[in-house]
Amino acid sequence: MATAHTPATEHAREPSFYEGKTGFKNWFITLDHKRLGMMYLVGTMVFFLVGGIAALTLRTELLTPEQDLVSATTFNKLFTVHGAVMVFLVIIPAVPAALGNFLLPLMLGVKDVAFPRLNLLSFWVYCFGACFFLFTLFAGGLDTGWTFYTPYSTTTGTAMLSATAGAFILGFSSILTGVNFIVTVHKMRAPGLTWNRLPLFVWAIYSTAVIQILATPVLAITLLLLIVERTLNIGIFDPAMGGDPVLYQHFFWFYSHPAVYIMILPGFGIISELIAVHSRKHIFGYKAIALSSIAIAIISFLVWGHHMFVSGQSELAGVVFSFLTFAVAVPTAIKVFSWVATLYKGSIEFNTPMLYALAFLFTFSIGGLTGIFLGSLSVDVHLHDTYFVVAHFHYVMMGGTIIAFIGGIHHWWGKMTGRMFNEAHAKWGVLLVFIGFNMTFFNQFVIGQQGMPRRYATYVPQFQQQHVLSTIGSYILGVGLLWTAIYLLRSLRSGPQAPDNPYGGASLEWQTQSPPIEHNFHGQPVADTDPYNFPQIDRSGGMDAH
Amino acid sequence: MTTKTFLHGKPIDDVVEVHEHVSPAAAYYKVLGALFVLTGLTYAVSFADLGPASLTVAMVVAFAKATLVAMYFMHLKYDDRFHVFVFLSTVIFVGIFFLFTLFDLGSRTRLNEEQGTFFRVNNGKDWSESQRTNMAEWQAKQKAEAEAKAKGDAKGEGKAAGAAPDAKGDAAKAPAKAP
Amino acid sequence: MSSTHAHGPKPPHAFFQHHYDTVEQQAGAAKLGMWVFLATEILMFSGLFLAYFIVRAFYPEMVLGSHELLSKTMGGINTVVLLTSSFTMAMAVRSAQVGDTPGIVRNLYMTIGCALIFMVVKYFEYTGKFSHGIFPGKYFDYERAAAYAAEHGHELVGMPHIFFGVYFTMTGLHGVHVLAGIIVLTWILRRAQKGHFGPQYFTPVENVGLYWHIVDLVWIFLFPLLYLVK
Repeated sequence: MATAHTPATEHAREPSFYEGKTGFKNWFITLDHKRLGMMYLVGTMVFFLVGGIAALTLRTELLTPEQDLVSATTFNKLFTVHGAVMVFLVIIPAVPAALGNFLLPLMLGVKDVAFPRLNLLSFWVYCFGACFFLFTLFAGGLDTGWTFYTPYSTTTGTAMLSATAGAFILGFSSILTGVNFIVTVHKMRAPGLTWNRLPLFVWAIYSTAVIQILATPVLAITLLLLIVERTLNIGIFDPAMGGDPVLYQHFFWFYSHPAVYIMILPGFGIISELIAVHSRKHIFGYKAIALSSIAIAIISFLVWGHHMFVSGQSELAGVVFSFLTFAVAVPTAIKVFSWVATLYKGSIEFNTPMLYALAFLFTFSIGGLTGIFLGSLSVDVHLHDTYFVVAHFHYVMMGGTIIAFIGGIHHWWGKMTGRMFNEAHAKWGVLLVFIGFNMTFFNQFVIGQQGMPRRYATYVPQFQQQHVLSTIGSYILGVGLLWTAIYLLRSLRSGPQAPDNPYGGASLEWQTQSPPIEHNFHGQPVADTDPYNFPQIDRSGGMDAH
Repeated sequence: MTTKTFLHGKPIDDVVEVHEHVSPAAAYYKVLGALFVLTGLTYAVSFADLGPASLTVAMVVAFAKATLVAMYFMHLKYDDRFHVFVFLSTVIFVGIFFLFTLFDLGSRTRLNEEQGTFFRVNNGKDWSESQRTNMAEWQAKQKAEAEAKAKGDAKGEGKAAGAAPDAKGDAAKAPAKAP
Repeated sequence: MSSTHAHGPKPPHAFFQHHYDTVEQQAGAAKLGMWVFLATEILMFSGLFLAYFIVRAFYPEMVLGSHELLSKTMGGINTVVLLTSSFTMAMAVRSAQVGDTPGIVRNLYMTIGCALIFMVVKYFEYTGKFSHGIFPGKYFDYERAAAYAAEHGHELVGMPHIFFGVYFTMTGLHGVHVLAGIIVLTWILRRAQKGHFGPQYFTPVENVGLYWHIVDLVWIFLFPLLYLVK
């Protein structure tokens, strides 16, 4: 904090965007990207709780090898709810729609996104789609898993139509946000903000938007065909009617594999910001990180078949997809190495956002590397549909995106709410989340490799010890997240006033007051340098090569 | 405020971002005429027996028509180059989608044949013999099943519940249930 | 090639939104947004086209036998109608560019008229199919459809319900887009009648036009694939 440079706001404080037009109606129809971002944040957090409760119930059932707490069907419904809610309602909108909406125009130094009304529409479409999911819950749930694989999804007696319709509608929300962000990044920039001066978070959000645009329409048509198949049995996916269930998987994964990069790329963006700002050092390999986001976005469309190695896809296609899958490791590794190189000899401040960034580096590296195991055709034949896959996915999504997201919320908490959280409390939160997370999922790699299949309510007794460990870990994780929510919410009432630039960031969002005024900036901000040129960096401490 | 004009992030002193190209009306008439001619051509050709070439011919004509519409009616010829880039990259991603999926389906059949795996009776001829002749019977059975299911399962979505023959339905359900 | 030679930013028009810096920026953003949206439309329809090609690859004889039941003439009429509407739409945009408000209104009326004709023809096609038991998927009545095919000297092979399932899904989704097009065309027609559009501001006309051309483009591929190709 001592190194924070004074921001460019020499204006008198003005009412923030929370003040002024208050009342339900003004929030309901607001066009302000910051209010929409906050509403998305609340929405995603509510569903994070729903998905989290489902997860903890699953873990509790798995305490014993027998089936005791919930019935097998309820177990199936619970993991479907957990998966579908976490994917479609939490992780996909969390970073782009919540943090992205709030920060993108601020980072670009403009008054709003390109299409504010579209942004509002996108939010209400999100809520509409969420209603369908809630309806599914109350209509008895769905037991297909979040992937809705045919032919089971065309025959199951559970609430299939409302769930697919919900995912279909949420896709529209995602598309509208994507269109908005692409146009905003292209057309709405502060003077001087060239492509090479964009914060890496913006690059990440931009790449995410590209994937959202290119992939989500295919999800829409897939779900539409699934709905048609289920209601009319037209015989595209259902083998009983002459269709091909593997074709469904092709359609689904053409969207859903790029979609996992919709989920993780914004997390990468957050980490780039956190690491640079909190080690007070110019980001290493700016262009490499920026372009690797684009590279990931493109390569992500070439690898979807690695989800289908054992589902009847041709072996030849499996070989090709396996090979291409390894290509994704290259841009991802470029990012990780660049972050580590940024940390090297930086003036690292071990505050909460930085600790989350470091936790991310640890967990994401494990998640990413185990992805290589799963991408190998022959190894995957052994590991598919085991807890190894569950652990890998959670190490990337939970240990990657969600940890980055929580770190990002801490980093921009002062900017978003105008209050600072209690640093000591927050560090306990990091500890609980980190320990709980690793305890839950690390040994799942082991039992998965030993043959414990996923999606079962019961298991052979030899796995019990590991499952108990996992469940205790999940409770610790739950307590940690709850603790984080409590101290963050408490800070809204009793936290100290946030300074405009608490961590000495150099990107444009720190040049306005905290929280920002309705039109973001007092004057027109100008980007006269790149966003990682921290004014008081001790350059002699940097890489010698520079 | 005048210095704030910028295009694609670069500050520019003098910018006309929208190049308002106004094509002469005659150009549009010509394009429409060409489109009609091509439609007539593809319509006429469809009566000739070209065999497998018919798909190629129809697609070439369709691409020609699509190009005309995109270039002149949609102004891509005179538009911002980036819009052309967006359009073409979309086409490329459609190509990726088609290429990999068709590649899998093509190579899958071949490998299945080599291994003698039953996958699909080509053209559905055998399927039709067993299933088609019993279509009415089969549909009646489905209906009865759906009704039975709707009775037994008031909570579920009865409408679509019994949509598949029972053998397949049970086979599909089995692996998803816990032992 | 006649670009307007405005030097520096244009003066703001009545529909200028204040989070933009210049009129050009607003127009450019709207147009880029539309193009990106069109990309999503193309990709969405691509899924259906892929489904079509795969059904065709799996069951070539079935597809060839079934598609003969579709009326090439009705499809052809609809193609001509839709191409004409695309032309009038382009003329409407041109009228806006040169500031000819009656021209915009006239051309938009013609475009909407063509769209309605398209839907009416489609309606007769659909009801014609339904009356012979040709329904999508499990509602397909094989006996009646086979009898109908025999009347016209064709033979149904294999599982024609798949082809007609694909046919109804593709043309149905396209029809939904035509209906949506009629709604947005009516909206800009109302605005044109109020005199909102001129050389200074015609982005909505242009964007609705782009949307309409994409609807046309999809049909350009649907028509030969479903009706004509052997």
